[in-house]
Amino acid sequence: MARYGMLIDTTRCIGCYACRIACQNQNHLPADVSLIDFHEFERGSHPCVRVETVPTQCMHCEDAPCQSVCPTAATYTDPDGIVRIDPEKCIGCKYCMAACPYQARVVDHRTGVVDKCRFCTLYAPLEEGMSTCLTACPAGVRMFGDLDDPESDISKRIVETNAQPIAGDLTKSKIYYVR
Amino acid sequence: MSIEPVWGAPIAWYLFLAGLGAGAYITSAFLRWRHPEACGMRRAGHVIAPIVVAIGLVLLMVDAEAGLHNPLRFALLLSNFGSVMTWGVVFLSVFMAVALITAALDLMKRKVPGWLEMAGAVVALCVAAYTGALLGVCNTYPLWNNALLPVLFTVSALSAGAASVLLVAVVRHADEFNKAGVLKKFHFCLPIIEMLLVASLCFITAFNSTAGFESVASLVAGEWAVWFWLGLVFVGLILPTALETWLLFFTSKEFEESRKAHWISFASDAGVLVGGFMLRYLVVMAAVPLTFVM
Repeated sequence: MARYGMLIDTTRCIGCYACRIACQNQNHLPADVSLIDFHEFERGSHPCVRVETVPTQCMHCEDAPCQSVCPTAATYTDPDGIVRIDPEKCIGCKYCMAACPYQARVVDHRTGVVDKCRFCTLYAPLEEGMSTCLTACPAGVRMFGDLDDPESDISKRIVETNAQPIAGDLTKSKIYYVR
Repeated sequence: MSIEPVWGAPIAWYLFLAGLGAGAYITSAFLRWRHPEACGMRRAGHVIAPIVVAIGLVLLMVDAEAGLHNPLRFALLLSNFGSVMTWGVVFLSVFMAVALITAALDLMKRKVPGWLEMAGAVVALCVAAYTGALLGVCNTYPLWNNALLPVLFTVSALSAGAASVLLVAVVRHADEFNKAGVLKKFHFCLPIIEMLLVASLCFITAFNSTAGFESVASLVAGEWAVWFWLGLVFVGLILPTALETWLLFFTSKEFEESRKAHWISFASDAGVLVGGFMLRYLVVMAAVPLTFVM
């Protein structure tokens, strides 16, 4: 068992949206259903100004508000700490969408089922490669791994860069940001 | 990034109809206690309750599209007792069963047992309060996430329920309408309490956070201002209060019992119903979520 998490280094992000396209491609999503959002901010003051692009998605919270409100228990946390949706149980009531502080969930209009980032570990045994949002990124923004293993690359990078969840300890999110 | 509201008009209608049904049932129970002779009005409440709640539940199922396509999934709704929605399903199921039995007994001219009506009224109160708690636990929306909302929705539900029974009484049971003085006095007070609660909700939420301020600003002076002031405050709260104040305290008893006065009451009750829907619609649509990505 692991406790999977992701690191997103916004100082490297060039805002090309390749991760979103790779995600839609891997998960067979239509163009208007995206599991990754982008927020753009102007940073600094003249003459040292840049645009910071912050990709957001399901934060795989340990205190997942979506899971606690889901009336059918379609949202659950698997043994590896990944927050998942069982599409066979979801009725599409959208209560989880109202509860998510990150607006990370969307309705797949083809089925009415709610969807979100899956961390794509289910593709691991298929030799298709896991999260293609990582491999599609031309700037090496993303890193995926076991947060419980202090020797993992991600754990070392989090310590090195002092990466933090986007909203502090709000929901014990497992996505760490370098800003 | 602009944020779309998660829920829309169907859910607002559902919240209104569930409250209306609960309020109508409680009104009937109240009539049994204070105006036992008003059988026609009681029957009206008993019939309104299951019908409007059923319409609301259909809307709810239509809005939950994945469940609509796979109806068996609705059986899973009792899976998570940590969820307010699961509790709502429990309350609504019990309420529907009790309300249908009550309506059937009343329509067959059989006596409705006192304990059944009492139990129904308690579950009805749970249904009315749950509609507020459903939104209230979403702590990302300051306009929802406060203890006032379940109270406000309950008061509005009682008000709308009584209004619906009085509306039917004006049309079909004018003699009973004239005698239901105690009900009318209670009904008169409810929009006044509601006004206080709406004002408190706006005032406190505006000082809660930026998102709270934005929600209240869009209600009182922004996108939803016309609906808020005209639909909710004027038609739903001030007009019924003004008309009923005039009828109850400033007219002669002869005028109060005249047909003309009945139709003025009718207008006031119709206003209460419009206000009841507007309240849910505005609370659902105007809520702005807190921003954590900045």
